[in-house]
Amino acid sequence: MKCDKVYLHICDHLDEEITSPRCRQIKQHLEECPNCRAYLDSLKKTIVLYKAMPEPSVPAGTHRELFKTISSLTLSPGRARAKKRRCTRKS
Amino acid sequence: MNKRIPRHLPDDALIAQAKSGDNLAFTELVRRYEETVYRFSYKICRDKEKASETLQDTFVNVFRKLKSFDGKSKFSTWLYTIVTNNCLMKHRKRKSDELEESLEAYDHARHTEDTVQRPELVSSEHSPADIVIGKELRDILETAMLKLPEDYRVVFVMRDIEGRSSEETAGVLGLSNEATKSRLRRARAFLRDQLHPYISAHPELVR
Ligand SMILES: [Zn+2]
Repeated sequence: MKCDKVYLHICDHLDEEITSPRCRQIKQHLEECPNCRAYLDSLKKTIVLYKAMPEPSVPAGTHRELFKTISSLTLSPGRARAKKRRCTRKS
Repeated sequence: MNKRIPRHLPDDALIAQAKSGDNLAFTELVRRYEETVYRFSYKICRDKEKASETLQDTFVNVFRKLKSFDGKSKFSTWLYTIVTNNCLMKHRKRKSDELEESLEAYDHARHTEDTVQRPELVSSEHSPADIVIGKELRDILETAMLKLPEDYRVVFVMRDIEGRSSEETAGVLGLSNEATKSRLRRARAFLRDQLHPYISAHPELVR
């Protein structure tokens, strides 16, 4: 198997089990080819770096806005009536 | 006052209650998925303000469409579909089309000399926990990510950052499994090329 073929398929198998004949060929090529190994390595690093980026939490203001919106939705006339009916029935 | 405690309900039951018009259950559902939706929105929009907007829009849509959620997909997948539609509608820009075409070039493997590197760069496992991302690197990561068309970004984020399946990702975007895989391949190759100068200049970065 040639480098360009390997390149095309390296990505498909980045995190997957290497069991199929094609994957065995790729694996074998990787063992013999420092170019492809280096390429695969930098692909892996790229993913690792993106995974390591910090993820923000919902800002307090956004959270308040959201729940304001939610209560205006859930208390809209149709729903409010339904709620009232339920409450009356229960009490 | 008769108080139900939806916090202890499993998701399925909570969703069923919310579908039947129970406002407490709906509010609890929002509380439970607020962070998930915000973080995913942020990873797609790459902007806190846009992520906040998308968060609002998404739950307004959920409120209106919840009755049509049939439980065939996971609830989070359904949420992601709504987030993605909101993002794609809001930020659909023609300029991404140009890159989309040039991304197809990533199907044809390129073998450039700059991939020949010192053997010590070739390591097997990386642990993200050890990595501190400084400002320079963060800018490079952001700039590269912003160059990706949004559907490619969705694929990369879902598959490689969140570790979701190819089928789930395809479902969110309404693409075939094959199209999803080729987008992933191109997105990875593109981002890798964008980061390569920095990565090769900093071999100590990821061990
Ligand atoms: Zn090779």
